[in-house]
Amino acid sequence: MNLKLIAEQMLNGIVLGSMYALVASGLTLIWGTMKMLNFAHGELYMMGGYVLYFSLILLGLHPFWGILIAMIIAFVFGLLMEKMILRPLLDKPGWHVSPIVATLGISIFLQNFALKAWGERFKSVPYFIEGTMDLFGFRVAYQRVLILVVAAIVMVGFWLYVKRSRFGIALRATAQDRDAATLLGINSHRVYLLTFGISSALAALAATMLAPIFLVNPWMGIPPQLKAFIVVVLGGLGSFGGAILGGFLLGCIESLATVFLSSEWKDVAAFAVLIAFLIFKPSGFFGTKEW
Amino acid sequence: MLKIKNIDVFHGDAQALWDVSLAVEKKEIVTMLGANGAGKSTTLRAISGLLKLNKGSISLAGVRLDKIEPYQIILHGLSHVPEGRRLFPSMTVMENLMVGAYVSSAWKSRSSAVNEMTEIFPILKERRNQLAGTLSGGEQQMCAIARAMVSQPKVLLLDEPSLGLAPVIVERIFEVIQRINRRGVTILLVEQNAHIALQIAHRGYVIETGHVVREGPAFQLLQDQYIKQAYLGL
Repeated sequence: MNLKLIAEQMLNGIVLGSMYALVASGLTLIWGTMKMLNFAHGELYMMGGYVLYFSLILLGLHPFWGILIAMIIAFVFGLLMEKMILRPLLDKPGWHVSPIVATLGISIFLQNFALKAWGERFKSVPYFIEGTMDLFGFRVAYQRVLILVVAAIVMVGFWLYVKRSRFGIALRATAQDRDAATLLGINSHRVYLLTFGISSALAALAATMLAPIFLVNPWMGIPPQLKAFIVVVLGGLGSFGGAILGGFLLGCIESLATVFLSSEWKDVAAFAVLIAFLIFKPSGFFGTKEW
Repeated sequence: MLKIKNIDVFHGDAQALWDVSLAVEKKEIVTMLGANGAGKSTTLRAISGLLKLNKGSISLAGVRLDKIEPYQIILHGLSHVPEGRRLFPSMTVMENLMVGAYVSSAWKSRSSAVNEMTEIFPILKERRNQLAGTLSGGEQQMCAIARAMVSQPKVLLLDEPSLGLAPVIVERIFEVIQRINRRGVTILLVEQNAHIALQIAHRGYVIETGHVVREGPAFQLLQDQYIKQAYLGL
């Protein structure tokens, strides 16, 4: 067991964790504002992967445009999903579980749609940037460095947006007290709609960044979806800071499990930590309602 | 200015208001008195569109408020300080006031509007970066009133501003309400504390189990034998 290997794995864990954080922040955003769980989040992620694949391989676009198109399509898809399927269910009194079940249905539909339309073959996407660089004495692929940089920029940008912008203030107000926000002129339906769109775009972004590493396939959304749920529980449901911290933590736990046990055990370690949190600290690091 | 005509409102299957009518004229302070559960808050929530009418109409300066979306009502110059303040607890005092400036007309001039409010309530300036959930009850009430005033409404609805506050604080809050009224803001004040409400109001309505049972100028209500017994404890 050498230290260099551990440190290298930790770095990998941080890179992967940054993407968990991105996926989880979309989930936690929806929970924080709408008090709803989205089981189709992973499939929005999967769609992002396919859009990137088609943009790069079929259309021959630059990855930048592929990522942008994937995010835009996911954003629009999120809006449609909220408006056409979830909105009618959310407004029905006494139907609290139905929107969640509906997202489960959407998830199953999209997986099978992808399977039928695009086949079961895993599709590979080339690295956006080839080569490796030297980082503190470690050799790190540029792709992984890029992932970290993108994650940092997006998370800081999103944080500032939610804290400072007019829409961000409306979003937090709606999350904390919907009626009071309505009295002050905030259209909560519009907030919900955009929340869903933004959350979907974040999932698609994470998918495009990880697609070169994990390959594009109809089931690619399932692991990040499950991991995002763990992250959200670790961080505290609805907490943005918690999603970030939880994401990095989970990435590191998995990496350490890979080093000390073996890579088959990494999911066991991740879920063991989840169960431990559910027993000893069910509210997560930051509790609920951080918006 | 604000006219409520013959409204019926239900909470689910239970009827909460029966044929309630009331009017508030420009620059008046009108109070609505009644016991817990009489229908005072229900009336205010109906005016703000949070509850739908089964019958009747509500209009502000000729605009039918019951025909527009609840979030558009503030654009017509009506602002509502809800029961229990309903501040955004994990936002700072300053951020709460910023939400008050959300409507596009107020957003551009938000800093001056917010400054104006902190002049009326100097304590809010001191507490500007404190989370609203950590304020004392009186400070929360001031913050809630300030938040509703940032959009510079013509009509202010106040739901039990005295609730749970010490008498000294209640007096300060009511002084502020009078000051706001002197600046030309029309006020509809819902209160359980009939004493203090009738001291500052021009007119009043008494509501019992969803019916308006008395109405008239405040001085007349203060002399009314029934009101003296039931609401003033005399």
